[in-house]
Amino acid sequence: MSDPSTKDSATTKTPMVYICGECHSENEIRPRDPIRCRECGYRIMYKKRTKRLIVFDAR
Amino acid sequence: MDTPSLRNLTNLKYGVPAKEQNFILQQLGAPHVSSFNYMVNKGLNDAVSELFPVEFTIPSGERISLRIEDVSLNHPTVPLGVVGVKTQQIFPAECRQRNATYSGKLNGKVSWSVNDGPRLYINQDFGNIPIMVKSNRCHLNEMTPKQLVAHNEHEQEWGGYFIIKGHEKLIRMLLMTRRNYPVAIKRGGWKGRGELFSDIGVQIRCVNNSQTSVTNTLHFVTDGTVKLMFAHLKLLYYVPVMMILKATCDYTDQYIYKKLIEGFEDDSYYSDCIQNMMRNLHMEGLHSHADCKGYLGKMFRVKFIECPEWFTEVEVTDYVLKSCILIHLKSMKDKFNMLVFMIQKLFAYAQDNCKTEGADAVMVQELLLGGNLYLQVLKERLQTWLNYLRLNILKNAKSGVGFSGTEKDMARSIKFTGGIESIMEKFLATGSINSPSGLGLMQDSGLAIVAENINRMRYMSHFRAVHRGSFFQEMRTTEARQLLPDAWGFICPVHTPDGTPCGLLNHLTMNCIVTNMPDEDILKNIPSTLTELGMVPVKNSQVSTLRVKEYYVTQLDGKVIGYVHSDIANKLVNKLRCLKIKGEEVPNTLEIVLVPKKDVAGQYPGLFLFTGPARMMRPVYNLLYQEIEFVGTFEQIYLDICVTPQEIYKGVTTHMEVDKNSFLSNLSLLIPMPDCNQSPRNMYQCQMGKQTMGTPCLNWNSQAGSKLYRLQTPASPLFRPVHYDKIGLDEFPMGTNAIVAVISYTGYDMEDAMIINKSSYERGFCHGSIYKSELIELDDVNSYFCRDPSIPELADTLDADGFPYIGKLLSKGDPLYCYYSADGSKYEVRRFKDKENYYVNSVRKYSTFSARAKPTASITFRITRNPTVGDKFASRAGQKGICSQKWPSEDLPFTETGLVPDIVFNPHGFPSRMTIAMMIEIMAGKSAALHGLVHDASPFKFDEDNTAIDYFGRLLEAGGYNYYGTETMYSGIDGREMTVQIFFGIVHYQRLRHMVSDKWQVRSTGPTDILTRQPVGGRKRGGGVRFGEMERDSLISHGTSFLLQDRLLHCSDRTTALICTSCGTLLGPMIMVTQIADKPNMSETKEMCRLCGHGDNVVEIQIPYIFKYFVTQLASVNINIKISCNQT
Repeated sequence: MSDPSTKDSATTKTPMVYICGECHSENEIRPRDPIRCRECGYRIMYKKRTKRLIVFDAR
Repeated sequence: MDTPSLRNLTNLKYGVPAKEQNFILQQLGAPHVSSFNYMVNKGLNDAVSELFPVEFTIPSGERISLRIEDVSLNHPTVPLGVVGVKTQQIFPAECRQRNATYSGKLNGKVSWSVNDGPRLYINQDFGNIPIMVKSNRCHLNEMTPKQLVAHNEHEQEWGGYFIIKGHEKLIRMLLMTRRNYPVAIKRGGWKGRGELFSDIGVQIRCVNNSQTSVTNTLHFVTDGTVKLMFAHLKLLYYVPVMMILKATCDYTDQYIYKKLIEGFEDDSYYSDCIQNMMRNLHMEGLHSHADCKGYLGKMFRVKFIECPEWFTEVEVTDYVLKSCILIHLKSMKDKFNMLVFMIQKLFAYAQDNCKTEGADAVMVQELLLGGNLYLQVLKERLQTWLNYLRLNILKNAKSGVGFSGTEKDMARSIKFTGGIESIMEKFLATGSINSPSGLGLMQDSGLAIVAENINRMRYMSHFRAVHRGSFFQEMRTTEARQLLPDAWGFICPVHTPDGTPCGLLNHLTMNCIVTNMPDEDILKNIPSTLTELGMVPVKNSQVSTLRVKEYYVTQLDGKVIGYVHSDIANKLVNKLRCLKIKGEEVPNTLEIVLVPKKDVAGQYPGLFLFTGPARMMRPVYNLLYQEIEFVGTFEQIYLDICVTPQEIYKGVTTHMEVDKNSFLSNLSLLIPMPDCNQSPRNMYQCQMGKQTMGTPCLNWNSQAGSKLYRLQTPASPLFRPVHYDKIGLDEFPMGTNAIVAVISYTGYDMEDAMIINKSSYERGFCHGSIYKSELIELDDVNSYFCRDPSIPELADTLDADGFPYIGKLLSKGDPLYCYYSADGSKYEVRRFKDKENYYVNSVRKYSTFSARAKPTASITFRITRNPTVGDKFASRAGQKGICSQKWPSEDLPFTETGLVPDIVFNPHGFPSRMTIAMMIEIMAGKSAALHGLVHDASPFKFDEDNTAIDYFGRLLEAGGYNYYGTETMYSGIDGREMTVQIFFGIVHYQRLRHMVSDKWQVRSTGPTDILTRQPVGGRKRGGGVRFGEMERDSLISHGTSFLLQDRLLHCSDRTTALICTSCGTLLGPMIMVTQIADKPNMSETKEMCRLCGHGDNVVEIQIPYIFKYFVTQLASVNINIKISCNQT
């Protein structure tokens, strides 16, 4: 099987920070993790705004 | 709050949630919520107790009886067994975002007995059914504004809707015939109901405690008899009324006759008819009460299959009488009395002694409320559930499993019976019902609508909308659409759409309330209270000694309770009104209708009292008792209500309007000075107000539903009605104050076009955006979102989790998200498809309670929509226009003070539209800005002696401007002073949601239809705009044949075909392929005609493909097309 978790462990393991919609605590979620707040068990998680520089053409 | 003010500008506490919610806004949801609450508190168990127990025999000979009992509805909660959840409640905001249904568990008990033995019970979970927001099964009920905001709701949330798969669904309020009141109706279609049937009848819509409704009609048959119509499972049955009358009670013929002609003793035609009807019955051999019951039972047994086979004929008749005839009355005596009344009314009507009431007048109408309809659907579903259970038991009993009536057996049968969850959800999701009985409705679809939140006005108006029923939409006649005088004060004359739904989709006025279920204890005492006031209570089984002719029949909710003497009737009604205002002995929503006896034929007289729910009522000032009294639609027509104190006629006028504007709805109250506009302009504004871009919500981050329109730079109007402040519209602003010059300046402002100042646009004038969400559900439970590590370029747009960076600008072809598909064992990238550029606003990931749910997420986009040429704008006076140019500021005219207009409005818009309010607004807005005021634009503030123009003109003068609001202007092109004085001021402009970016359509080549090879239609698919017959005609008449050929042939389905010129057919020619050698390329082709046998005259021509198709189709029906050809 081409299970990617073995091959590309680097990317799949990178956790992303999500914010809980209920208690606003920050959760680190890996791709295969269940979507649930570790603090309160809430079911909606918001992605954080990127810290990358986003540049638009000023037109 | 009598004048509007700009206090929100300086109020430091503005924006802090108030202690209490706004009463007016709460009224929007009130009818919906209270009807749902009634269902939860009482209706549910009333309905369940009314379910007909399912009784049957299983093959072993045992009689089984099934029932449902003790049903209760619970709050929405996290299912049992979900661990690690802090709050067990589920709130509406979560369901909206997760596209879930806001639903609570319906629990109940199934009880059964075998051979009438002891009843056994089993607890049953019927599944989760949708819960109305802010009802007493919703967690938001009783919350303070602060708590609501904490739960991601609006401060003023009024509820009344359901959340179905993330959409806000509202059960439409429908206008129905008033319950439990027999209405005299003339309907042409009734003539076709049977031999000798006439078009006149008396119809009653009976509604019982559980809100189940059944219609009964007494038909007048031209041979002088009367037939009663009732419906069962959508089939109509007609029974001679005398048979029903005799079947209800065991009375002598003498008594029945006396009772029927009571009060009509001198009407010989009537008494003859009665005698004739009685004689007919005897001729059929039906002499007694028992005979009639036996006969009815025998006739109806086959049609009432729910009656078990061991029911006697009498029992079947009892069931028919109970469930189909005058169901609002429990006792047979009451049914008898009511039937007698209806027969009397019918004969009075047939002899033209009383007039038609008609079902289209608001006086004989009430509403069908969300909670009540929901209850009816639920009730019917539970009955069906019991029937399914019966089938399962029978199946088990017949198979090897067997059924012995133990709890285990029952549990096994129930297991396969299913729930009602999906059906209730489907009802609200689609708004259609699939009901065996039809629920007494004229329609089975369109019952639920989406409460669209385009802006605050649109959202509000959904909750006060009442529809006449989609049935009338197809009707040719306009009767149901007419605005009748009795709608005054209840239904807004201004706020109805134009077009198909005109007059059918109406809106309740601001003050109109919808009654709730009254207190039962008070109801019980009404008859005795009336007796105390002088009513003679009705006595059965003995002929009364009253001279009924001098009395008014008194009915309480469709039940004859007594007689009131004509002399004391007015006094009694007055006393009753006093009690009603107090609201202790009788409810203050009691509707007291004394239809007086007159010398000329009018409405059928009587004293009718209504206490039931779902009636429209409105507050008026009772002059006698100096108090507010609620009056109903029927009651109002017999009252004398004045508008102002000057109109009072002593001894005649009894009531006065609370407010001059009480006949207007929420939206029409927001129009500035509607009394100065031509009336259709106000209707247009009611429509356009609902299409304005504004501020639909304040909780942008917890919105995931449909499209949301947002105006980036809204402003509070400077000329506004008081109502604007009353409903707190400053929190949801939806327009911009624009400097308007009424001048024909550039030539780009013809036909309602308008010009926007380019510099104003660049400063943010009417800038807006659209929020759109896309729900993503992966293909497999084991799939997950992740960026494909093997494509490094993805990192430019996608984060490591496979979603785009928030704030990223997406254009066509960019990766939108990436996931690992467990189904295909590989990474998949989905790309962004839209032509427009979107910004990623937010990314949300969801989970559900089910362990086998597929991963879901939603991406919310923001699309900037700043005004462009072709976007639609409107003032608040029904004056819409399309932006035709963004004109450079330096080229626009300027005033002496150097002011340049934001909008140039063509003066030709005024003469034919006669929107004086907009002209007043120009002056008022200007003076408001000048003096730092905000002016009141409520209707009826000014009059002929004290004109608005004078008031604002003098204010302008005081500010140093021209009295008439005009100014000297200079041309922006050459700087010369214009000779004409320009009308110049400030108008609150709305930006409408119709934008060219959503509508433009262009095509040169593109997708074609497979069958016809012609271009497809539809903007979404990249299709073309139809070049139809009329367009064709115009090109022909222009003689532009090459253009015509280009449009209809070259850009459409041009194809080359072979034709044989000798036989003139398209079907004959073919291409023969002869293989020269055994190699693929070594072949020779030759054109051949199969009909001629040679290919000498085969040539290639250009034809539309559809012609070839047509020829082939004709060949299939053995028709050949011969085309005569000329060689060129």
